[in-house]
Amino acid sequence: MANLSTKIKMYCDANGVSEVDFMKNVMLQDDSDGKGAYIKEWNLDIAQPTDAQLSAQETAANTEEANNQVRSTRKAAYGDIGEQLDEIYKDIDAWKARIKSIKDTNPKG
Amino acid sequence: MAIDKIQSESINLADNFAFTGTVTGAGESNTPAFEVRLSANQTLSDATATKAQFNTEDFDTDSAYDNSSNYRFTVPSGKAGKYFFYTCIIGGNSSGGTTDYINVYFYKNGSSQGRLHPRGYNHAQMTYSTTYTKSFDLSVGDYIEIYVLVDTTSGTPVIMSGSDLRSSFGGYRVKS
Repeated sequence: MANLSTKIKMYCDANGVSEVDFMKNVMLQDDSDGKGAYIKEWNLDIAQPTDAQLSAQETAANTEEANNQVRSTRKAAYGDIGEQLDEIYKDIDAWKARIKSIKDTNPKG
Repeated sequence: MAIDKIQSESINLADNFAFTGTVTGAGESNTPAFEVRLSANQTLSDATATKAQFNTEDFDTDSAYDNSSNYRFTVPSGKAGKYFFYTCIIGGNSSGGTTDYINVYFYKNGSSQGRLHPRGYNHAQMTYSTTYTKSFDLSVGDYIEIYVLVDTTSGTPVIMSGSDLRSSFGGYRVKS
């Protein structure tokens, strides 16, 4: 199940809001009482989503979270940017082949 | 002969006093006092202020901390006063992803009383460690909780705790 924050980001993006600050725009809370996360404050101009509207974002949010994990894995595998510049200077084709291999091994959904 | 009462004008404050016995009746006991920690990582929802479930007590002089259901310190009967609290939080994610920042909150009677917001220069550290301290004037029945928010780009947000990394919460009464 996707995080509530991801579903809210997807909902906002679909309604013209590309950035959500979870310290100002939307406050989420979980009281550790088994009821899970909920929207405590909604300070955006667009309407607060209903439960149904959030549920409709479930599949897209799961894909987004999986892709974020792929991005993180790829970034770690790419390595330090300074080292990559050195690779490019020495043999740009070898560098391109290595980057392609990382992308192929870690495909996005 | 025991001295029952010392008049202030009879004491030279510049003198040294080398007690060999025990001074009793001075100051306060600084109880209730407690310190609790997580027995293992607590998984959170991303970007969500979540109550920390400190479930292991190192000490709890007045059984004032609930470590099994509400995870809060409640001022016991007859123990109102000024209290000092501290919490050490290690926040990050357990699956090697990116953590943008964490927030640590003191909640009094269910409402936030301020937050600490450690954030790395590159906004992408795996974990953040921070200690937050705060004092409150509390009445009987008032309760204090710790909430933690971990914002990750990827991975599973957690409050970390284990054999050496210990997220914890403690406090004691300073004066009645």
